[in-house]
Amino acid sequence: MSDETLPQPPETPEAPAGPYVYDYAASPQRQIVLPKTVPLPSLKTYEAEVKAAAAADEAKWQKMLADFETAKAKAEAEGKEAPKPPVRPVPRKDDNDMKTPWPQEAKDDDLHRLQERLGGKAEEIFEQAGELTCQVSKEAIHEALQLCRQDIALNYEMLADQTATHYPAATGFAFSVVYHLTSISRRKRLRLRILVPEGFQPESACGVYPSANWMEREIYDMLGIRFANHPDMTRILCPEDWEGHPLRKDYPVVGWGQRDIAFREDRGGMLERIALQKAGQLGINLKQPKAE
Amino acid sequence: MFKNEEMEINLGPQHPSTHGVLRVKLRLDGETITHCRPMIGYLHRGVEKICENQTFFQGQVWTDRMDYCSAVANNLGWAEANEKLFGITVPRRAQYIRTMLNEFNRLASHLIWLATHALDIGAMTVFLYAFREREDILDMNEAFCGSRLTTTAFRIGGLREDLPPGFEKLVKKFLAKFPDCIAEYENLLNENRIWKKRTIGVAKLSAEDAIALGVTGPVLRAAGVPYDIRKAFPYAAYAEMNFDVPTRTEADTYARYLVRMDEMRQSARIIQQCMDGMPEGPVMAKLPKILKAEVNEVYHATEAPKGEIGYYMVGEKGSGNPYRFHVRAPGFINLQALPKMAEGSLIADIVAAIGTLDIVLGEIDR
Repeated sequence: MSDETLPQPPETPEAPAGPYVYDYAASPQRQIVLPKTVPLPSLKTYEAEVKAAAAADEAKWQKMLADFETAKAKAEAEGKEAPKPPVRPVPRKDDNDMKTPWPQEAKDDDLHRLQERLGGKAEEIFEQAGELTCQVSKEAIHEALQLCRQDIALNYEMLADQTATHYPAATGFAFSVVYHLTSISRRKRLRLRILVPEGFQPESACGVYPSANWMEREIYDMLGIRFANHPDMTRILCPEDWEGHPLRKDYPVVGWGQRDIAFREDRGGMLERIALQKAGQLGINLKQPKAE
Repeated sequence: MFKNEEMEINLGPQHPSTHGVLRVKLRLDGETITHCRPMIGYLHRGVEKICENQTFFQGQVWTDRMDYCSAVANNLGWAEANEKLFGITVPRRAQYIRTMLNEFNRLASHLIWLATHALDIGAMTVFLYAFREREDILDMNEAFCGSRLTTTAFRIGGLREDLPPGFEKLVKKFLAKFPDCIAEYENLLNENRIWKKRTIGVAKLSAEDAIALGVTGPVLRAAGVPYDIRKAFPYAAYAEMNFDVPTRTEADTYARYLVRMDEMRQSARIIQQCMDGMPEGPVMAKLPKILKAEVNEVYHATEAPKGEIGYYMVGEKGSGNPYRFHVRAPGFINLQALPKMAEGSLIADIVAAIGTLDIVLGEIDR
């Protein structure tokens, strides 16, 4: 018996060479909507906004008055009845238990002391919702942390939390890194904040507060900010070979799963055939979309 | 046989004493640990990313699933962080009910800690007793919010429902018997020679190291630092409660056990005060149907059974989702201290060290 008489095995399509590179941005289901605003709390921007809003309100009122004057003059000339004078609109007052905490002038002594000791390196101080915030320049963060830890009047013993936020819409910086310090002896909390551009390596806080070790690893893992002089700058929650940094705003929310590989990099159309077959059994026509 | 010869072994991620999927890489010299490196992330679900893509209200169910032994405490921190972000005043009755449920949750969490920790070390009986009382607390959870573990107990601005009828009776019944129960556990352990041998002087962590490593909760208080957020930065109705912060100075596993036992007594005290002074009134603040944030960032920390749980949120103007949602998990920070506690000790003691930290991996990996 020759080999030719034997039934030939069906041709198995070749699997595509791995590793797969998933171009998730190209997929229509995964269009990432980037934020358009920069929600960075700040007293300066808030004051500017309030001023601009008041100016716009005033301009609108002036325009209403002017419109009224012209309408009145026109009515008088034509001998008609005069139009009603305009009423300035009063902002609507909501009847609920919410009172939005706006940024306020810094009153706390700690903030003033920090500003005094750091000089020009302290960019901004303000209070909001009862929390103290001091924004320092990104190069001076180590100095500021050391000051908070060692200054007797400040004496912030513990770094309770450190995290970062991605601001893709901002110009001049891409991330804010915040440090939440706690003073156990003085029962106080303080937030230090730095704004860092993409690629900048802020000085690690590990030298001053050893608890920053894992938190900085988490920031690196989740947002991709590397810290200079960190003892062990590796990923902590994701595997070492993970692509991308999940908490960035340009990272997709929908995962790259079987569903998406199946039809784009289908191994010789096998999966699609199976899907069509299954759909046919269920009476679904996958090939032709339903006419609307 | 292994003398002067280092050996590297993995403890976990599947090991009964690691309380979940914790992997610890150990380098051993004989039976002595020379190097210890905890490796986490096996349970990472991306809670922060998910919450950033959901509305403010929807985030709560994820806080249940972080530390599933103390879901109510997680809910409380989450609700208060949101209230701080929007500037909401919560009615007083809601504050009292929250405080009471939070203390019940502390009891449940400490009981499960006691049960599993004793089981790790070899005292089997306590497990059964502790779970008996925990069952009562879970029943009360069920009576209040319909589920036992993943409670989703609170809402932004207060509570969804008032206490169910007959709840007071349950609480009274529980409080009447609970002091005897604590005495029962202590009877089993306090003078138990094996328990004392396995815990006294084991996994020490001094106050300086604990503060430097950011460790909070009973582990810090067992080192002699009376730092309790309920006292230091009062929230909910804790400012009106009369209770002590138990501390010890030995800073070892046995001291942490005693601190937690004393804490349970204090919790019972707080619950009693909540029941006695429960004010009348509404349980929900007046709020619009949809919450839209203004530009604001808050960090709100509360005292969970395991330590300080902090929520950091950034609000975007006009948006119904948090722009940034971050959780400072107590277990995540406390676990950093494991190498400090375990290095130089025997391999059998790392089981005690992991147990005494009271970790839940669902919260560490988030």
